[in-house]
Amino acid sequence: MLREAFPCLHQQVNGKDLVYFDNAATAMRPQVVIDAVNDYYCRHNANIHRGVHCLSGRATDLYEQARASLARLIHAPSPDNLIFVRGCTEAVNLVAQTFVRERLKPGDEILISHLEHHSNIVPWQILCQQTGAKLKVIPMNDRGELVLDELDTLMNERTKFMSVIHVSNALGTINPVKELIAKAHAKDIPVLVDGAQSTPHLKVDVQDLDCDFYTVSGHKMYGPTGSGVLYGKATHLEAMPPYHGGGEMISKVTFEETVYNKVPAKFEAGTPNIAGGIGLGAAAEFMLDVGLEAIAQREDHLKQYTEQALKTIPGLRILGEASQKSPVFSFLIDGIHPHDIGTIIDHHGVAIRTGHHCTMPIFQFFDVPGSCRASLAFYNTEHEVDILVESLNQAKAMFS
Amino acid sequence: MSDLNTLYKQQVLAHNKNPQNYGEPAHWTHHAEGLNAICGDQVHVYLTIEEDVIKAAHFAGDSCAISMASASMMTELVTGQSIFEALHLFAAFKQMMSDEGLAEAKEVLGPVACLVSVKKFPARIKSALLCWYTLNAAINGQPTATTE
Repeated sequence: MLREAFPCLHQQVNGKDLVYFDNAATAMRPQVVIDAVNDYYCRHNANIHRGVHCLSGRATDLYEQARASLARLIHAPSPDNLIFVRGCTEAVNLVAQTFVRERLKPGDEILISHLEHHSNIVPWQILCQQTGAKLKVIPMNDRGELVLDELDTLMNERTKFMSVIHVSNALGTINPVKELIAKAHAKDIPVLVDGAQSTPHLKVDVQDLDCDFYTVSGHKMYGPTGSGVLYGKATHLEAMPPYHGGGEMISKVTFEETVYNKVPAKFEAGTPNIAGGIGLGAAAEFMLDVGLEAIAQREDHLKQYTEQALKTIPGLRILGEASQKSPVFSFLIDGIHPHDIGTIIDHHGVAIRTGHHCTMPIFQFFDVPGSCRASLAFYNTEHEVDILVESLNQAKAMFS
Repeated sequence: MSDLNTLYKQQVLAHNKNPQNYGEPAHWTHHAEGLNAICGDQVHVYLTIEEDVIKAAHFAGDSCAISMASASMMTELVTGQSIFEALHLFAAFKQMMSDEGLAEAKEVLGPVACLVSVKKFPARIKSALLCWYTLNAAINGQPTATTE
């Protein structure tokens, strides 16, 4: 039973069995990830890439093996295409400042979509303030799908970069990123894809997508918090200046000048989150062992079951009904504020997220302050969905 | 479940369903907007203050039941009070929510004291407090307030 691999799932909250439906906020970690972090601290603890002693060698090997595991997970050509970062937020900021910034002049444009998480909006707004560039937005429709009719206008000679989310954390929409990338590349526009919500659920192939950059968040894909990787095409990474200066990212330092280390070390200044990186590698191996297609199939079934179950509740409205979506359900119930629903069903052991989910423009589109969001993972069960529905019906009864 | 029923007690549900002094009035002299963006609570407080007395208090916005009920009860409590008394009630409400001088505060707050049960739900205290901080902002000429 895969579910048994996740120790934190097996507990009671408020006297009820925990039903964890807040996976889009952060996923649970399997024991193998917890063990990998623990083993590093208990058995291999040392700094990496710098000691001649045994432990340092072991720690370095484990860290670099993790990089290789992540390269396999997203089918990167080489582990050297991956830079360890704190998460997608840092990855987007890194690309904005080291790749895009020097390409921009006043009046140039950066293209994002209406479905972006704040972490793929704010770094670009900062960059626009720094350079005089403008932020343009691919619109969405009331099903929560991107409207691609005006792409030819939105992608023009002023467009210097596009950054789009692969899977919406708020609505679950799976965006047609391969098509978007092809269209952007036809106009020589490089593309970053925010993979925070796709990597835990879909088989991602960065070479097939042909994206220029791809971001991976560790804690969304069953790995440790504060871990993640940025994938970049080798030619870009070679040409980009460093993001942070410091130790590890250099090959020679004098007071007159510094020669930078080669990629990916050039972008990894300072002692990194070694335990986090090793744990993330264990998460990637875990997912590969389970099977990316098996995960996607299981979640597709759960998605259909949940959608049908939620639709049995009168007065419940699902926000975002894209034809392609992951098992994420944003919903509202007539007459009950999401915050109240969250509190009430927590008393039934059900953990969901309420609010704007760091995507305020999406809720401005729907003209509501926020929603309830149930986000599932492959280890969730149909029985848990039934408990969610029962608890929502009880919330309705309380407010009737 | 009993805890849940103490949070969503009858008074709270009744005020949420039929909020008093709800909606932007035609005339007002003082206004502030309270916004807890993360949880999605928004409360506008409108006051008509004449010679340092709150002649009328209204509120509007889209909030959870705790925030709605708290605002509804608050507007009833402060109507007819002097600014000084209203600020004293604000202080008493904050005290009640933080355990200091609980008995005294409950006495001053009258029916509003039923919201003391919100304290069992620490994540929801900010919902109950939002309208009071917004009232304080309106009286002091500040445009916005938040309790997040």
